[in-house]
Amino acid sequence: MSKPFFTVYCLIIYAFLLAPIAVVVIASFNAGAFLTFPPQGLSFRWYLVFFNNEVFMRAIRTSLWIAALTTVISGIIGTMAAMFYVTHAGKLKETVRVAMLAPLLLPEVLTAISLLFFVYSVGLGTQNLVGMIVGHVLITLPFVFINVSASMESYDPAWSLAAQSLGAGRFTRFRRIMLPLIKPGVIGGCLFAFIISFDVFTISFMLKGVGMSTLPIQLFDYLRTNFTPEAAAVSTCSIVLTMAVVIISEKVLGLRIHRF
Amino acid sequence: MNVPSKKRLGPLLLIAPAAILLGVFLVLPYLNIVVMSFRMPGQGTPYGPGFTLGNYGKFFSDFFYVQQVINTLWIGFLTTFLCLILGYPVAWQLARGASAFRAVGYALVLSPLLVGIVIRSYGWTILLGNNGIINRTLTGWGLIDGPLPLMYNALGIIIALVHVFLPFMILPIMSAIQGIDPSLEAAARSLGASKITSFRRITLPLSLPGIQAGCILVFVLSLSAYVTPSLIGGLRVKTMAVTVVDALIDTFQWPFGSALALMLSVTGAIFVVFFGRLTVMKWKA
Repeated sequence: MSKPFFTVYCLIIYAFLLAPIAVVVIASFNAGAFLTFPPQGLSFRWYLVFFNNEVFMRAIRTSLWIAALTTVISGIIGTMAAMFYVTHAGKLKETVRVAMLAPLLLPEVLTAISLLFFVYSVGLGTQNLVGMIVGHVLITLPFVFINVSASMESYDPAWSLAAQSLGAGRFTRFRRIMLPLIKPGVIGGCLFAFIISFDVFTISFMLKGVGMSTLPIQLFDYLRTNFTPEAAAVSTCSIVLTMAVVIISEKVLGLRIHRF
Repeated sequence: MNVPSKKRLGPLLLIAPAAILLGVFLVLPYLNIVVMSFRMPGQGTPYGPGFTLGNYGKFFSDFFYVQQVINTLWIGFLTTFLCLILGYPVAWQLARGASAFRAVGYALVLSPLLVGIVIRSYGWTILLGNNGIINRTLTGWGLIDGPLPLMYNALGIIIALVHVFLPFMILPIMSAIQGIDPSLEAAARSLGASKITSFRRITLPLSLPGIQAGCILVFVLSLSAYVTPSLIGGLRVKTMAVTVVDALIDTFQWPFGSALALMLSVTGAIFVVFFGRLTVMKWKA
């Protein structure tokens, strides 16, 4: 098989990967009242409708708020676990790894259902956001763990020992020596935690309380009954928001994105 | 060494938050859902007092549910197979192609992962619907008289699922191929093997761990997918995950919903283990 054949084949697959996303973005500039292709004229009409839609705006705020909290909690817990895994786990290493990756390997639907039953069984219910945030932390934890532990593989414990011999306490050693060196991993992990939390559907769907929808849920509910291009405008803004988070982190922090 | 010395206690505090979180909010809930599947159905409550095997009896006696598990597995197989066929050449190109092409390609493969699953499925409804772009274009060109049934059926679900999970197939295979020393392929070629032979005898077998990881990932993810089947399948085609969530949210039958969810998960797990046995198990996530 020749090189041009491969190039063309890959281009077709890339087009396939981008098609549904491109279609949503293009549809959002439709001037007409319904989704038609090609769009009937270009306008920002549906963006105005969206920005004046209090329900969607509230959902965006809820999503950002939950994603921020999730990122902080997951970032701290995941980094601590990765430190244990790389330097102290010893014989338990494989067990710790499998346990930390478990939320990723288990079906999200089952995790969501079991968590829903559990919060009701212990009387927590879905009147507040505790259940949903716990669910988001569970789902994002493996990504922080993978990223941080990968960046720690190249960390030499001798550096900590050197600092210790110079009189640095446990926390100083972490803050002044280890954290600056593993920073790309921590930030990469937190970035994933934020993006994934912003997009997580099933967990949020099962554990949401009344009037506490996140953006994906609000969008899903809307799509079941409405066919106006407003949903496309909402989607496009959500895509732009995620891309902005990624690009800003890349530019400011200069890190590379590796999911695996 | 049962009593942890002071030296061991410090490190244990590092893992404690994660251990408590996973123990309380993952292990306990999973045990709870197993217990729940044996509970009596409730009258106006999610579940009643006492235990029964009836929820599983209801599953096996009603062919509707067994048929649905078979459909879901079938959709999962086809999705996995198509992802493998479509994704492998791309993974190969990303691992071995020209470097300028590689960077852009890698970004293109990753980019759909940054777009939420609801949005991606929504994109497919715009493309596949009766008034969607594909049908409008084909009728516009006079190639077809009526719209092709692309949505509200298994075909639509599979197309959208392949799209959603293709990156999860490409990335593990890509890193597996990257891990193969190119001099092995060069050696095979210098010994007179054709490109195809060198691929079949060297590259393909050595990339099997990546294929396996990708297949398991895509299969498991597609079995438990909820958003895509419910938006694309509508009310006509339901996968197991959709039925389970409906049973829990709409009709509030916790014990039966639990039994359904567990039956699907166990069936899926059996296939994954079987698949792992068939191929060499070299599992590194």
